[in-house]
Amino acid sequence: MALSWRSWLANEGSKHLFLFFWLSLNVWLFGKTFLLYNQGLQYYYLHQMLGLGLCISRASASVLNLNCCLVLLPMCRVLLAFLRGSQKVASKKTRRLLDKSKTFHVTCGVTICIFSVLHVAAHLVNALNFSENYNEEFVTLNAANYRGEDPRKLLFATIPGLTGVIMVLVLFLMCTASTYAIRVSNYDIFWYTHNLFFVFYMLLMLHVSGGVLKYQTNLEEHPPGCFNPNKTLRQNLTVPKALGELFPDYTTEPFPEDPPVPEPFAQNSFTRVCSEEPKFQSHFPETWFWISGPLCLYCVERLYRYIRSNKPVTITSVISHPSNVLEVRMVKDDFEARPGQYVILHCPRVSALESHPFTLTMCPTDTKATFGVHLKVVGDWTERFRDLLLLHSNQDTEILPIFQQRRYPKLYVDGPFGSPFEESLNYEVSLCVAGGIGVTPFASVLNTLLDGWKCYKLRRLYFIWVCRDIESFRWFADLLCMLHNKLWQENRPDYINIQLYLSQTDGIQKIIGEKYQALNSRLLIGRPRWKLLFDDIAKCNRRKTIGVFCCGPNKISKILHKLSNSSNSYGTRFEYNKESFS
Amino acid sequence: MGQIEWAMWANEQALAAGLILLTGGIVAVAGQFKGWYFAAYSIAAGVLVCLLEYPRSKRKKGSTMERCGQKYLTAVVKLLGPLTRNYYIRAILHAALAVPAGFLLSTILGTVCLGIASGIYLLAAVRGEEWRPIEQKPRERPQGGGTMKAPPSNPPPRPPPDARRKQPELGGQVNPIPVEVE
Repeated sequence: MALSWRSWLANEGSKHLFLFFWLSLNVWLFGKTFLLYNQGLQYYYLHQMLGLGLCISRASASVLNLNCCLVLLPMCRVLLAFLRGSQKVASKKTRRLLDKSKTFHVTCGVTICIFSVLHVAAHLVNALNFSENYNEEFVTLNAANYRGEDPRKLLFATIPGLTGVIMVLVLFLMCTASTYAIRVSNYDIFWYTHNLFFVFYMLLMLHVSGGVLKYQTNLEEHPPGCFNPNKTLRQNLTVPKALGELFPDYTTEPFPEDPPVPEPFAQNSFTRVCSEEPKFQSHFPETWFWISGPLCLYCVERLYRYIRSNKPVTITSVISHPSNVLEVRMVKDDFEARPGQYVILHCPRVSALESHPFTLTMCPTDTKATFGVHLKVVGDWTERFRDLLLLHSNQDTEILPIFQQRRYPKLYVDGPFGSPFEESLNYEVSLCVAGGIGVTPFASVLNTLLDGWKCYKLRRLYFIWVCRDIESFRWFADLLCMLHNKLWQENRPDYINIQLYLSQTDGIQKIIGEKYQALNSRLLIGRPRWKLLFDDIAKCNRRKTIGVFCCGPNKISKILHKLSNSSNSYGTRFEYNKESFS
Repeated sequence: MGQIEWAMWANEQALAAGLILLTGGIVAVAGQFKGWYFAAYSIAAGVLVCLLEYPRSKRKKGSTMERCGQKYLTAVVKLLGPLTRNYYIRAILHAALAVPAGFLLSTILGTVCLGIASGIYLLAAVRGEEWRPIEQKPRERPQGGGTMKAPPSNPPPRPPPDARRKQPELGGQVNPIPVEVE
């Protein structure tokens, strides 16, 4: 399986380019700020006091500014769904970048953690240096009140110090609760601690308002290193003996080597005389500029989502499917969704705080306002939800008109939000691979095709569905058969190529149902052989670009990704689209 | 919120806190800060906490992700029996280990983080959680079903075992290839 550079470039190129761009932005910011504090004249005296710690802490702070700004943007889901939907705004390549928004969020988060460690370490050293190298000449520059002040006071009794310490603790809680193991097993812990980000941002706003580090404003009148005839030169400063005995550990050695004074000033400083004392001023907190935009955007979006989802939906029917799957159909005013999108369900009677995402299996159309989800009962929330719904259904043995079905629990729907599966209708040929309950995004695509397939760019759909249990196929057996028959009637039997795989067999039942003959003949026992499948598809669709979509276990996804990047002898290109859900 | 297993989160925190203690201690010892004895202690405490917390406990429901290579440490931690199984003891142990590191500036963060982890372990213990080792299940060889005793002795096409007892030519069919009947 040779790696074709063109396929790799098409699949991974824009992702890596974006990452490279972000990385270089970070490196440039770090380098620029480091050099500014290392060589800038306005920080000359401060740099003398603090040394390397000043440069590292400020440089890491600027990287933190950038990443705290960027980390919020991938989480603005409504904005991302809008960008995906408006085909004029974003090209296909940009939309494929949006698939990786969660990965980018994690990358920025990890960067924040790493640079926070660097920033804290550098500031600890700064606190020590502020205390040891107390500057008697320029008293306003100091953060300590006297020489040898306990650095712990600087850390815990000042606003920047205290807010910094609390921020580190909040970051620690958020970090430890965000590992993959915790997200997979106890999503609640992750969700509740992650909402502490708001506290983090508020503390960040306070943290930068302290104004501890100052810069010199009157460089013209007092170039650093100039000759002041009224005072002895700094090199001759000695510590009074008594003070030296009291604080043996904090006795100053003669000042460390002065940083090399820049050339033009070196020549002039011995001739230049200071006309006045240096004046120092605190910085304006530029972090406020960095983070206020994304924070406002995110808050506005959450507010919009809350208002939009505040109207409960009307549940029209609840259908129980084999293998622990429940279908819920509902209606809501002004609800529009595209196939492949997902919604977040919130049912206060099941749990006041939890809400869970489910892919839509049926989208509302012009003629029919009903939309539906299929949910698999795996955890406590879905179990209780199912019990509540079925309890109500059992009370009505016959089909009642809608207004009498209000005895269903109140359900709120937030969304819809975009996903990469929306792109499947925009390719000429699409390969959709589903594992188990992962078929749900493709079910909405199939429902949409059932309504009308001619208006989309899609000309051929390869639909591969792998299940462990033969009963699972019954979830959408009706839909598949109806679509197959409709396409047959409209003389396009080759539009959809259905292959169903039963990966584990106990040999007892080999057909899905008597009336699903179209599916029984397309049922294969065993796991699909992906390489042969890809070769087959490539041969039948030479020199075309095929969109590969996978919703299922990670193992299948990895194999498909690798195969999409490899070359084939027919000139066909496979573009891989996937989003991670955990 | 009914089914959250707090111990898993406390485990992640304690492991992270152990690493923070270790790092802070190494920095202080290398820089020969004042009071570096506390730093040496925190290195030892950090290593102990990391080793104790590395093996993840088994979840009550569902499968647990193991950490890479944790089975060796699981065997050791299992030996200590109730000392490691009970989370009250772990909470007290972590609280006690955390305190001495609080006297040095570079390890004070480790103290606070280990303190938080100790608090969450206490919560887990109050809710009755316990540390359970993740055992490797012995791989079961798929049984042949008991009916396969010996490989077939004749090549295909093979008639089913019942047909071998009946008359070989039924309905006047002549086999093009002679088939041996046992």
